[in-house]
Amino acid sequence: MSRRLSIRLRDAAGPALISAIAWLVLAYLVLPLVVVIAISFTTTEYLAFPPVGFTLRWYQRFLADPSYVDAILLSARLAFGATLIGFLLGVPAALVLKRGRLPGTQMLANFFLSPLILPAIIIGVGVLQISGTLGFARSFEAMLVGHVVIILPYIVRTTLASLEGFDISLEEAAQDLGASGPATFFFVTLPLIKPGIIAGCLFGLIMSWIDVEVSIFNTVIAQSPIPVKVFNYVQYSVDPMIAAVSAGTIYIAFVLVLLLDRLVGLDKVAGQQK
Amino acid sequence: MRINRFSAAILLGIPLIYLIVFFVTPLGMVVVDSFSNPAGELTLANYAAVLGEAYYWQVLGYTLWIALVTCVATLLLGYPLAYYMSLIEHRRTVRRVCFILILMPLFTSNIVRSFGWIVLLGREGLVNETLLLLGIIDRPLRLLSTEVAIIVGMIYVMLPFMVLAIASVLQNMNGSLREASRDLGATAFATFVKVTLPLSAPGIVAGTLIVFTLSISSYVTPRIMSGGRSVVSSMLIYDQFMLVFNPFLGSAIAVVLLVTSFALIVAYTLIMERRPGRGGAS
Repeated sequence: MSRRLSIRLRDAAGPALISAIAWLVLAYLVLPLVVVIAISFTTTEYLAFPPVGFTLRWYQRFLADPSYVDAILLSARLAFGATLIGFLLGVPAALVLKRGRLPGTQMLANFFLSPLILPAIIIGVGVLQISGTLGFARSFEAMLVGHVVIILPYIVRTTLASLEGFDISLEEAAQDLGASGPATFFFVTLPLIKPGIIAGCLFGLIMSWIDVEVSIFNTVIAQSPIPVKVFNYVQYSVDPMIAAVSAGTIYIAFVLVLLLDRLVGLDKVAGQQK
Repeated sequence: MRINRFSAAILLGIPLIYLIVFFVTPLGMVVVDSFSNPAGELTLANYAAVLGEAYYWQVLGYTLWIALVTCVATLLLGYPLAYYMSLIEHRRTVRRVCFILILMPLFTSNIVRSFGWIVLLGREGLVNETLLLLGIIDRPLRLLSTEVAIIVGMIYVMLPFMVLAIASVLQNMNGSLREASRDLGATAFATFVKVTLPLSAPGIVAGTLIVFTLSISSYVTPRIMSGGRSVVSSMLIYDQFMLVFNPFLGSAIAVVLLVTSFALIVAYTLIMERRPGRGGAS
């Protein structure tokens, strides 16, 4: 009896301990984000945590500064541009890799995923070299080209994964009934693999939006995406205004997470990570 | 879907050419530069400089040390969280909250996340205040610009990758194996050690590989947390390219870092594949 009780106690203690550790780790994961958001509302001139009072002054100040607004717009143009190019390159590539019956497709698929395991800083350096040779060093185009390289693997991988779990006879039926290749793709395949493509594109969008390593080698100070601008600022000083800028990027991350949850489901997304 | 050879060549060819021009060629240029001097002649002088100087070895060693500590720490912190998430499979809302809390930092720039730690680790930051309150210390510690700060920041940045890698394996694991073990009389702890842990090994291997690879090349976090001193290889690479304007030496440092990390990753993968019980070469 007492042995049973002790086993039961031990069985209950294990999960309780694990959930306690798990929630502590989750708290560790959100704490810095909460801190940044909190201090962005402080009425003090210096960073105060917990914040003193409540003001939107720092948000007004950064939104009134064209250089920050420009940096955000630049980041947005980069992220959307790179994602669009990544989509146009990645989805057809994945389609052929899965359906093309070509030799060596596994090796080619690995090649398309390889930018993931290469240090971003080395990709950044490499893009600086090639864009210098081709005559567009340190420009929007140079950053764009580099961002496409780092996000392409995400789009290829999620598209490959969604083509994997998919009844190929649906496509065959369409084509046997006389649909052309493109018609089959747009009316049968695309609707079925859409969640995978959306997940890949949203991930790509985010990876471009938060990138510092590739951008920093391929831009000039006057034309910095928002993470690079924050990076250059934080190295020398920190104040509540830069906290407001940073908090703004956290709100955007939150919106994107909710969007992913709504469109694809977070369980599925998490399985695709790296 | 049947794709004819011509369309296949175009649909796959264009992305392939893109990667060859903007990914393979740039890497090739970095390698060529590492064997060149400003006059454009081939030379081994860059490698002689990098490999002959104790300073570069120290920085490389420190880079690997930080990556190793980050790997071990994220594994110890990340595993319980991933395991917890596999236990609450049926509680969808709680699971969703967990995912949101894990993905939020991942979707926020490293720079913003490091900024949060600058505030937390400051002289009057939350960490020092808490330690003072608990009476563990009697005057504020200098935490910023120390090794502690670098490691705390690195663990923070890498943790979501580890959790997600392990969680995706645990979530696909057949729960009936755990039940069978319990039904046969094993304690929860024995079940965990003998069943769950070995089955989640692929997740651990994947997670440690991702974290290690990302850690040794990480630039933003060590730069911010070290207070600007160049302490890891990626910072030396940046300095050579952007401050000293010696892309040749910078390329050599990059190649050494790349080769070292590849060698370690290959060795690690081989060792893990040879583990008994996986039916490998052993």
